[in-house]
Amino acid sequence: MIYGDKNLGVIVQNITGRQGRFHTELMNDYAREVGGRGVVAGVAPRKGGQEVHGVPVYNTVREALREHDATASVIFVPAVAAADAIMEAAHAGIDLAVVITEHIPVHDSMLAVAYAKLHDCTVIGPNCPGLLSPGECKLGIMPAHLATRGHVGVVSRSGTLTYEVVDELTRAGIGQSTVVGIGGDPVIGQTFVDVLARFEDDPQTKAVVVIGEVGGNLEEEGVRSTDLPVVAYIAGVSAPPEKRMGHAGAIIEGGEGDARSKVRRLSALDIPVASRPSEIPELIRGVL
Amino acid sequence: MKLLEYEAKEIFSKYGIPVPKGVLIRAPEEVTAHLPRIGDAVVLKAQVDVGGRGKAGGVLMAEDATAVETARELFSREIKGVPVRSILVEERLAIEHEYYVSIAVDRSSRQPVVLFADAGGVEIENAAMADESAVRRVVVSPLLRDIPPFLMRELLGGAPKELAPTINSLYHAFQEKDAMLAEINPLVTTPQGVYAADAKLIIDDNALARQGIAVNRDLSEREREAEKHGFSYVELDGSIGVIGNGAGLTMSTLDLIEYYRGQAANFLDVGGGADQERVMHAVRLVASMPGVNVIVVNLLGGITRCDEVAKGIIAAGVAPTVIVRMAGTNEEEGRQLLAEHGYRMLESMDAAVRAAMEVAA
Repeated sequence: MIYGDKNLGVIVQNITGRQGRFHTELMNDYAREVGGRGVVAGVAPRKGGQEVHGVPVYNTVREALREHDATASVIFVPAVAAADAIMEAAHAGIDLAVVITEHIPVHDSMLAVAYAKLHDCTVIGPNCPGLLSPGECKLGIMPAHLATRGHVGVVSRSGTLTYEVVDELTRAGIGQSTVVGIGGDPVIGQTFVDVLARFEDDPQTKAVVVIGEVGGNLEEEGVRSTDLPVVAYIAGVSAPPEKRMGHAGAIIEGGEGDARSKVRRLSALDIPVASRPSEIPELIRGVL
Repeated sequence: MKLLEYEAKEIFSKYGIPVPKGVLIRAPEEVTAHLPRIGDAVVLKAQVDVGGRGKAGGVLMAEDATAVETARELFSREIKGVPVRSILVEERLAIEHEYYVSIAVDRSSRQPVVLFADAGGVEIENAAMADESAVRRVVVSPLLRDIPPFLMRELLGGAPKELAPTINSLYHAFQEKDAMLAEINPLVTTPQGVYAADAKLIIDDNALARQGIAVNRDLSEREREAEKHGFSYVELDGSIGVIGNGAGLTMSTLDLIEYYRGQAANFLDVGGGADQERVMHAVRLVASMPGVNVIVVNLLGGITRCDEVAKGIIAAGVAPTVIVRMAGTNEEEGRQLLAEHGYRMLESMDAAVRAAMEVAA
């Protein structure tokens, strides 16, 4: 497990929104199931004093941390105010901010990530499903029932595609140490390099599945940085250039970041690359 | 969204970047009235969104006597298949030297990166490929308002320091206009000073609203419909329609179709919360594409309610065969509903795509 265990105390920013409410309940269901602490407080400006599924709400992160022992925040704040929310969390002393919000302008993300770094706050996302360490903790919106505890780390730029791969692994009897969705935007807090470094320090993790997409070159950078056995899958080999495939980051620009050349470069590093998600369990068995 | 050259130059000019005297015309005759201000020697530049515009015949030189005729010629051309609807007429600069400068978002360091080369112009990309040291790059903290002098010195190397204010102005435009890319190629020196001879500006799609930029893309009826429902939608050339939730999973479904030697007709990501309404609109939209005889619906998620999705598919009531793969809450109810109405629900992506291939063949 990386980033946190059962004892991790979590707050939710914009806990009173539809998504915030819904996922607070699911996160705490999971915490109860595994005997963890889960979401201990919520934040929503001008809504302090309310409760959401039994979790007390505060006006600011600082107020919430004055009353509760928490080091992580899951952020469901709408795009226009999300960068501010990340900076508020970092400023108040949060160590780990998991940003679910999508459609945050890139310049806001650059600013918030740089500010968080000044305060030693690690940012996962934005535009990500969060992370799940089976049997330990869940921060974000991943469906926990698909996962099972084990020794394979999963790090991915996608959401539902990650669930697909986790489902394939679980069905094949291969458990996961931690599953991390790093987000689909051009600028994200934790990149493949950062997450792989954590996996390398984690005694539970014996191998890692890297799930990439078209756009940028960060998959290769990550794979080069680690000594762990890695299996990769890259979505978008059939994607035409200059067409944005859903994610802001999933676009082939100026000939850079197309999936085929990514697959070629990873293969040249002797990394097994799956040509479809259902091949991943077999490839993982080959490197374990 | 990529702006046209004249739009980018208008913005750069507001940030104090010198641009050549010029005017935008939409008909050949309009040029005459502006020549006294612009000068006798002019450049006519087609305002089309294509790369390699000059080589494709989109830039022509003219004198005062030939300006109207040359404009008429340019308006009659198609540049890489794009018709010329407007032309930027500019003074011809007495260029001494061409440089290259651009500012982009560096995914790796999550900061703005400034690129500079001592040689600008059309061959910059080839030159950079051949010799990486030809392009100098510095990353600038997004917490800073200006490019600090020490980084500017590193960037410019032996190039004239008169370029520095223009590059710093470009950095301001990049930051304040929510740019993904701000580029001047070439950035030129003349006896009259420094000029942005060309200009490129790409604005972050997630910031168009706060930049007050209306999206003036030419959307087809189906694309407009997709936008109305908040779907990510791209049309392709094949016959197998695709609906998925999440960009990665939808892309992966397209890839799987290619893997089995089929051709996808489209990319459609319904996004989060695929309820009955949204699924119905998505299925109807893809079914309305000519040539689509089968649709693969691939939905996966913890919170997707399969009975809702099934009702949406049934309510769409379309002619093409719909093959469904979904996982989530109320899976059994969903399967039952679909079976009652003659739809197939399969266990895996692979099985769903293979089944679609059989129908398409």
